[in-house]
Amino acid sequence: MSRIGVFVCHCGENISRTVDVEKVAEAARGLLGVAHACDYKYMCSDPGQALLKKAVAEHRLDGVVVAACSPRMHEKTFRKATEQAGLNPFLCEMANIREHCSWVHEDRDEATAKAIDIVHMLVERVKRNRKLQPISVPVTKTSLVIGGGIAGIQAALDIADAGHRVVLVEREPSIGGHMAQLSETFPTLDCSQCIMTPKMVDVANHPNITLHTYSEVEEVDGYIGNFQVKIRKKARSVDMARCTGCGVCMAKCPQKKIPNSFDRDLGMRPAIYVPFPQAVPNVPVIDRVNCTWFKSGKCGVCQKVCGPGAVDYAQQDEFVVEQVGAIVVATGFNLYDISEKPKGSPIKGYGEFGHGKIPDVIDGMTFERLASASGPTGGKILRPSDGREPKQVVFVQCVGSRAREKGISYCSKICCMYTAKHTMLYKHKVHDGQAYVFFMDARTPGKGYDEFWRRSIEQEEAVYIRGMVSRLYQKGDKIVVMGSDIAVGIQVEIEADLVVLATAVQPRQGAELLAQKLGISYDQYNFYSEAHAKLRPVECATAGIYLAGACQGPKDIPDTVSQASAAAAKVMTLFAKDQLEREPIVAKVNERFCVGCFACKKVCAYGAIEEKEIRDRQGNLVKVVAYVNPGVCGGCGTCQATCPSKSVELDGYTDEQILAMIETL
Amino acid sequence: MTQGQQTESTPLVDPACYAAATAAIRAEAVRLLEAGEVTAVVGYRAGRRAGSAMPEVATTAEAAAQLIFTPGCQNNLALFLSKAKREALPKGKVAVVVKGCDLRALAGLIGESQLKRDEVHVIGVACPGVYGAGADLAKPLAAESLARKCRECKVHLPEGTDVVAGTLPPLPDLAPLEAEELARLEAMTPQERWAFWTEQFARCIRCLACRQVCPFCFCTQCLCDRNRPQAVDTSPRPAGNTAWHIVRAMHLAGRCAGCAECERVCPMDIPLNLLNRKMAQELFELYGFETTMQPQEQGALTSYRDGDDQSFIK
Repeated sequence: MSRIGVFVCHCGENISRTVDVEKVAEAARGLLGVAHACDYKYMCSDPGQALLKKAVAEHRLDGVVVAACSPRMHEKTFRKATEQAGLNPFLCEMANIREHCSWVHEDRDEATAKAIDIVHMLVERVKRNRKLQPISVPVTKTSLVIGGGIAGIQAALDIADAGHRVVLVEREPSIGGHMAQLSETFPTLDCSQCIMTPKMVDVANHPNITLHTYSEVEEVDGYIGNFQVKIRKKARSVDMARCTGCGVCMAKCPQKKIPNSFDRDLGMRPAIYVPFPQAVPNVPVIDRVNCTWFKSGKCGVCQKVCGPGAVDYAQQDEFVVEQVGAIVVATGFNLYDISEKPKGSPIKGYGEFGHGKIPDVIDGMTFERLASASGPTGGKILRPSDGREPKQVVFVQCVGSRAREKGISYCSKICCMYTAKHTMLYKHKVHDGQAYVFFMDARTPGKGYDEFWRRSIEQEEAVYIRGMVSRLYQKGDKIVVMGSDIAVGIQVEIEADLVVLATAVQPRQGAELLAQKLGISYDQYNFYSEAHAKLRPVECATAGIYLAGACQGPKDIPDTVSQASAAAAKVMTLFAKDQLEREPIVAKVNERFCVGCFACKKVCAYGAIEEKEIRDRQGNLVKVVAYVNPGVCGGCGTCQATCPSKSVELDGYTDEQILAMIETL
Repeated sequence: MTQGQQTESTPLVDPACYAAATAAIRAEAVRLLEAGEVTAVVGYRAGRRAGSAMPEVATTAEAAAQLIFTPGCQNNLALFLSKAKREALPKGKVAVVVKGCDLRALAGLIGESQLKRDEVHVIGVACPGVYGAGADLAKPLAAESLARKCRECKVHLPEGTDVVAGTLPPLPDLAPLEAEELARLEAMTPQERWAFWTEQFARCIRCLACRQVCPFCFCTQCLCDRNRPQAVDTSPRPAGNTAWHIVRAMHLAGRCAGCAECERVCPMDIPLNLLNRKMAQELFELYGFETTMQPQEQGALTSYRDGDDQSFIK
């Protein structure tokens, strides 16, 4: 006969509000095999846990059921307490009477009856639990960092400085990301390039960092501590080992009129190019779509002029496989391109703003390039249409963001601050110019942020108009901005020379595809989901994968760098031990009954199932059966559901346990 | 109607085609055994009653010379090659005589790692059809005595075998009775259909002949024989009977070769193949999956593709 203890938690009022916890404890006392049952206000607190430990000793318990919250919340807590009480931790199970009961029901009597049923099921399950020992798996102390913007760079440098190898994968030909495109940064107005480029160089020179630029993650297999990652190195058409970065190829390329996306298409670049002069690595790439050689098979100038013979038109995509123990995802963001309505998306676009049609209606990043010393205008604020200096500039905030009716309800977080910065940069460069800002409200929570915003109004004379813009249209060489000033309650029209839209921050295009490769979750906008909004903000629910930067949600540079360092710290914690202890909830094969059809092997998402030969004493092959590698098994139970003879079972979730649970109902 | 009945009872095909297949099987079997290429040939020999046939494991050239192929060759001999029943055969490479439907079962067994293709020499036979259950074996094969599965057979001529015995005579077009019966059941309300199957399963005596004759029931420990935990009541009572047949249908989904042996051997005449055809039809409609005469790497229910229909998840 089992001696099980049932511990019913009130969770403050979370459970006891709807469930009669005393009645649940009372009912539990009457169950066969239950030796002790009690209730307490906060079972997870120190006195609560003490209650559990004391009861284990006093009543000589051989199993524990904690009727409280989801096992995702506190299973670890109570298993630890059970272990401290001298029992095997896997003899403790959670009966979830909060998320599965009190939170979702209103009727007290019915909820109480359900809570009793849940407790009864778990009692039957715990009766059949086995003592399990943790499984140790080796940890590969190399980290993959996906994305070479400031988030990826910071995480990579931190992990590399701690002495671990880092594989940094960047999709573009150079690392740097969006921060390399910025002019000056809020709230201190220090030059982005000046603080960014040294970090980029550090990455390139760091002995612990392997950099793969112009590369993408193709496949991810494995699990925490032991991932295998296949990386596609796209054909650069230039041999990285030979190129000296002299730049002659770029100078001699006859095809020079290709809009440079780094400069938001304001500047031009040749077909063989580096995106910007401070690129890391300083090795050009051939844009095969626009290169004359790849279009017509003629030209070949770059190859002829290249001294070291680095230009290689025949180069193919290469694949590299890296073994890593942890993955930091830092894929960053895109600015919402409002000029067209994205296909198959609930987001509606802003046709009425004429973005993409009126040349002097630009977005915030384009203004950054105009203001940047290394930008297409050399840092002069000039209109894209006629190159004239604009004397009246209208900034429009919350374009896309916080617009439920347009499909995005979140705040993009950075726009209030960068618009304030833009008005300052503009005033510094065009002294007789006037900046207007249409805003809903200014959000400036951050160190020195509100002071910065006030400075833009009080010292730099930006005029802030609280209200929305309804329409933009061209009138002569001016753009008419129609909007409202709700502080005064009037409609306003401003004839502007340039309009800058603070468009919403969105996740990278294709973010969901990478998430599917990694097996991590994402929200309705495709931002990656953290494991817990407050307590685990940098971890994914998938063990061993961490998030940094705007791929998780809109973020400014300080927040991004903080999160990147936090993710790096998590990786270092993982790498601090040689062996990783993991839950022993894994599948086991009954070799006697396994007939080796390997349906389990076909469905196993973790590749944990191997073929094992059973031989007799003479060494003759008797049969081939399935074998589950416990280090690789994810404990999902798909094999158990698939096995026709039920010869493979997941510890803690055996058919016997599940059927015993069902039979209580 | 009268005309129809006349057509039904006239011989279906020229019996000479069976004789030709018999001759070819004998020649190949004798050759294989004399050359020592195989240790045994699994085929058919004449049964005691006129027109009947039974499985034969021929290990000598003399025995091989007695092998036959007639409309009485109903058994699916792939059964002998499943791991569980392999013990009936001598060690080493064996040859097996298969009709098209049996070949699908053999391919399925290979796909499920029960044997390797190079462990078996496959003698395919061009099969115009075999007798159905309850047919008068003394009379020549006619449309009315033809097995229901053969009326809508798409695999009269095996493909991918080491040799094909016989040639296929022209075959008449016959009404697809099985498909018609399926459509009739489909047209019922769920309550009517449930009543139909409840009545069918109520007759089941749990002799488990369906399991014993099925090439895919190769588990050494059947889930339904377990008593701890007991998944299915083992005594022949309605609830356990229904559970048993549903478990079998689910386990055969995407695997069943359509040999209909379960239906033929059922002493209570439960139309078991209808269940299996229904599952096959569902898998074809949902995933475009069909069992074939070639081994397949992935089964319908052991693979996942991005485009798979997921509308059933609500």
